[in-house]
Amino acid sequence: MTAAAALPALARPAAPGTLRANLRLFWLGGIISYRALFNWARPSIYIPTLIGAPTFQILFFAALGTYASGRDASFFAIGNSVQVCAMSGIYGMTMAIANERWFGTLHALLATPASRWAIFGGRFLPFIANGLLVSVYGFTISWLFLGVRLEPSTLGVLALALLVTVFSCSAIGAVQGGLSMRLRDGLFGANMLVFLFLLFCGVNIPLEVLPGWMQAVSNVLPFTHGLQAVRGAAVGAGLDEVGGLILIELGIGLAYAVLAFGLFSYFERSSRQHATLDVR
Amino acid sequence: MAGLRRNARLIWRVWVFTMRSFLASEFFILTAILQPIIFASIAFFLFQAGGERAGEHTLLFAALGTGMMGVWSTTLFGCGGAIQWHRWEGTLELLIAAPSRYDMVLLGQTLGASTFGFYSIGATIAWGMLLFGMPLNAAFPLLLPVALAVAILSLGCLGMLLATSFVLYRHANALSNLLEYPVWIVTGMIVPLAALPGWLGPISWVLAPTWAMEAIRGSAIATTPPLLAMLLCLLLAAIYYLLARWVLRFVLDKARRDATLALA
Repeated sequence: MTAAAALPALARPAAPGTLRANLRLFWLGGIISYRALFNWARPSIYIPTLIGAPTFQILFFAALGTYASGRDASFFAIGNSVQVCAMSGIYGMTMAIANERWFGTLHALLATPASRWAIFGGRFLPFIANGLLVSVYGFTISWLFLGVRLEPSTLGVLALALLVTVFSCSAIGAVQGGLSMRLRDGLFGANMLVFLFLLFCGVNIPLEVLPGWMQAVSNVLPFTHGLQAVRGAAVGAGLDEVGGLILIELGIGLAYAVLAFGLFSYFERSSRQHATLDVR
Repeated sequence: MAGLRRNARLIWRVWVFTMRSFLASEFFILTAILQPIIFASIAFFLFQAGGERAGEHTLLFAALGTGMMGVWSTTLFGCGGAIQWHRWEGTLELLIAAPSRYDMVLLGQTLGASTFGFYSIGATIAWGMLLFGMPLNAAFPLLLPVALAVAILSLGCLGMLLATSFVLYRHANALSNLLEYPVWIVTGMIVPLAALPGWLGPISWVLAPTWAMEAIRGSAIATTPPLLAMLLCLLLAAIYYLLARWVLRFVLDKARRDATLALA
């Protein structure tokens, strides 16, 4: 048997620009970009960073929160179980866009006539799935060690709120990724975002304790409304009670996704005009 | 005597170089200044919401604790990457082949990292005073600089031990990510050990940040001078340094034998 014969037959490529080609690009491009550009997608980094660190983050804030404020550990456990999805949503999305530039593949990618929506949108899916996985793991840790109990009848609502929150978190991560097409160090902003979520979004500090201006900022950040919905669903609130919060979180996520795409397109055009695509 | 002077000069030069390069790094500005300020704000809000449960010095307790968390993060990432960065830049083989002692180079780097971390304590104290009206009066003001010095030394030596342990591990930064929160918990930086499970106690005793925190906090808000904590910092620093030298010799021999110095 020759080597050529051993290769599987390639599927006939779809004509460029068709819906099928764009869907293929959306799906396969997303998976390939995750494997190629997400530096942490290997066990030796993934396990310490996306399993180990979130575990200790949840335990740390549960210990600090109960000691300092006297609140039940479950408040901090739920908040941080949701927030840990930022490890994937923020850092992952930043890498998925910024690493094209660092690995020297951006100019080749942008030279293709492929749909930018398909290229850009496909990057979300793997990181949303990854963020969900990390958050579900966080809830498992919280259930095992911190006494978090979820109301079984509203688990579906909680799952929906979590999914939408992970999406909106990935969307602001995409904004950071878009900015990283211009910035020298995109991960600086990603780190700042992850820490600011801990402070602003009701993850550890109840929103009513924050000063007015911080509450105002929290209203336009991801997590704030989604986390409120998750907290509500965890104690039995149905879709009729937290549906509004989920819709607001979805709206915030969509707004950030559109902003990210706008930045991506703008920096692409601007980089072409000024010949700064690969300038670091 | 000439050898001692040469080594001291080497440590000093590397220390200055490390401090200057960290000052130019956005990542270390984030780790040593911005991150501690954010964590200090979280702690201040939580303690205020809980009615300042740590007593009359609650805000200073929180400022020092979150500052020390920043010191640990800077030491951890600075030392975790100490060897890795040289590997990436292609300078590791040159440093090891040079006639200067590599353990002195590494010690200068790790002391530089731990010293840089002490910007954190300044940042959280200033933040607490400016935004939360935190009063600042140290119980033993003359002991405080001594406590800071022994803390830097002990954390630098612990960092050197970490750096040598990371030589054979390709993804030292991932291990650094993993070790940040556990040490914050187990050394009682912001939650006293008395409020944590008892089995964590023996682990905390062998970690220098526990005693460094005790020495600094003791100088600031305790009723008796924290002399024992300072002595334990010095003792642990000596043990870490000797262990680090032994580990360094072992891992460098292995890396040379396996020809993996630049690859591991």
